[in-house]
Amino acid sequence: MQQSTSEPTVILGVIGADCHAVGNKIIMSVLSQLSFQVINLGVMVSQDEFIDAAIEHNAEAILVSSIYGHGEIDCAGLRERCMERGLAEIILYVGGNLVIGKRPFAEVQRLFAGMGYDRVFQPGIDLHDVAKLLRMDIHQRRQPQWNQWLVAGHREHGVLDMAARA
Amino acid sequence: MELNNQRLSEREFEQERRQVLQSWPTGKEVDFSEGVKFQHALPDSKRFSSVLRQADQSGKTLLQPRAGVALLHEQIALLQHLESSCDLLPTTIDAYTRLNRYDEAGSGITKSLQAGSSLLNGFPAVNHGPKGCRQVVNALNKPVQVRHGTPDARLLSEITLAAGYTSYEGGGISYNIPYAKRVRLESSIRHWQYCDRLVGKYEEEGIRINREPFGPLSGTLVPPFVSHCIMLIEGLLALEQGVKCITLGYGQGGNLIQDVAAIKSLRELGDEVFQAAGFNDYELSTVFHQWMGGFPQEESKAYSVICWGATAAAIAGATKIIVKTPHEACGVPTKEANTHGLEATRQTINMVHEQHFPTTEAMEREVEIIKREVRAVLDQVLNLGRGDIALGTVRAFAAGALDIPFAPADCNAGVLMPVRDNDGAIRLLDPGSVPLPDDVLTFHRDKIAERARQEKREASFHMVVDDVNAVSRSTLIGRPQRRNTVSPIHGL
Repeated sequence: MQQSTSEPTVILGVIGADCHAVGNKIIMSVLSQLSFQVINLGVMVSQDEFIDAAIEHNAEAILVSSIYGHGEIDCAGLRERCMERGLAEIILYVGGNLVIGKRPFAEVQRLFAGMGYDRVFQPGIDLHDVAKLLRMDIHQRRQPQWNQWLVAGHREHGVLDMAARA
Repeated sequence: MELNNQRLSEREFEQERRQVLQSWPTGKEVDFSEGVKFQHALPDSKRFSSVLRQADQSGKTLLQPRAGVALLHEQIALLQHLESSCDLLPTTIDAYTRLNRYDEAGSGITKSLQAGSSLLNGFPAVNHGPKGCRQVVNALNKPVQVRHGTPDARLLSEITLAAGYTSYEGGGISYNIPYAKRVRLESSIRHWQYCDRLVGKYEEEGIRINREPFGPLSGTLVPPFVSHCIMLIEGLLALEQGVKCITLGYGQGGNLIQDVAAIKSLRELGDEVFQAAGFNDYELSTVFHQWMGGFPQEESKAYSVICWGATAAAIAGATKIIVKTPHEACGVPTKEANTHGLEATRQTINMVHEQHFPTTEAMEREVEIIKREVRAVLDQVLNLGRGDIALGTVRAFAAGALDIPFAPADCNAGVLMPVRDNDGAIRLLDPGSVPLPDDVLTFHRDKIAERARQEKREASFHMVVDDVNAVSRSTLIGRPQRRNTVSPIHGL
């Protein structure tokens, strides 16, 4: 998964049976402008399709969207499936309207962090902020192991809050 | 399978029907003649077509929410809660059922039972079967409609209509292009011919089922002529199969003049196009959808969006309005939030609907432009199909002559790009391959140029993105922001 190129490859898609295409097209457009190689799988993407694409394109992150409310069902198990298929270290982001009903975002964030997602975003996030975090996370993953341990604490406590506030 | 716009033969339909009813265990419980008997016994107050007719005659705008949860008793409780605040009831179907993934819907029911709350975004009607759906109808005093987004809705239609639902939303285009990724248009149109033929069979038994093509499509900056073309094509396809009661839909754009002109032109074009095709024996009504794009997070702001839609629908005189909720920005609402959306809408409509708004030159011009756009596109669709609207539709999508913005389907060109003009009306930044008259295209260009001058920037996809985000950020038009990053978007 180590990449030397400055343009990191990321996999983008809307998970499950969700057909919300608008946000997906906009994320694609913004991240491409910000020099990410975006492999956009579009809407209605299964967990295995995300992983297949990540392996095929040697991607460093999978960006999962879910807008329609089934996120809790669709997103569970993706981290485990990644580990089974040799992508234990891949960065997983998830964002959107992730659960049914209006629930406090901190609760939603805990739920999805518990599923193994590195960052959890709510609607209305500034995509430039997402891009900055993504670049930083990818940079860290490219560092040798000992360096990662040093920054892990910082990531857990500092920047995650920033994502929640945005 | 050669697709054409012809009524399915009795033999073809019955042969297919056996397969459809075998495709899931609850299908075997469908009893058409028992369903006909039950439908006959329904009072007019529980029949969609009757309530729509009365509203149309008295110039009333009827209110309808969206609502669907995983479990039967919760669905009944939800609709009973909403019943007193609305005129027409829905049953919104979950996303797994919409893709015929009944196994996953079943596991969603199980997980919802375990969680003690609905984990599905709608009611899995196929899994609950005719008996479960009948319980929903029996528990209510108002007409109930199936609202979904299902490219192959044959089994769902058999189950729900036999159970006593009196209206069925959707169509072979409007429930494919915005809702599916890899479903062939030939298949979805053909599968919806089946649904329309089923409605035709009820009609032959003296049961009038209302049909409603889904107007808003992708819900994002859809120019009125684009959705009108789809509405009229699906109307023609339905009439051919024997449907007699059609409600044509439109999703709010946000500019009042364009929205009122859209409803006026939709109804007039409906009569024009249907009668030109030789149909005279039908009932026509309209439905206006409150804003289908991204909503503000704050409930106070969401109410404002809701009431602006209610105002436009009341001035336009739409027969029905589909109501949003103050929870729209966060997804599926609570029943209380749903009621609040209805109450806000009711208050606005009550205050507006008796006021008479004289037509203006600007309004007449808008109506005329929409009509000319629709006629130009439909002519081309018919040409491509050599007179057959079904075949022509498939070819028109392949050629990009029909093109729906921001839709996920592979078979949609996605080249047409809309943007708002300086008054917030939706115009064409790029018409793609949609065949519009030159002077109409010039009109679109001039309108957009006016905005670009005002904003001192080029009209581009950046402007489109600003427009997509605008309403959730408290404006209609996505004016440039004084900040060094792009604006937040609705949904990641």
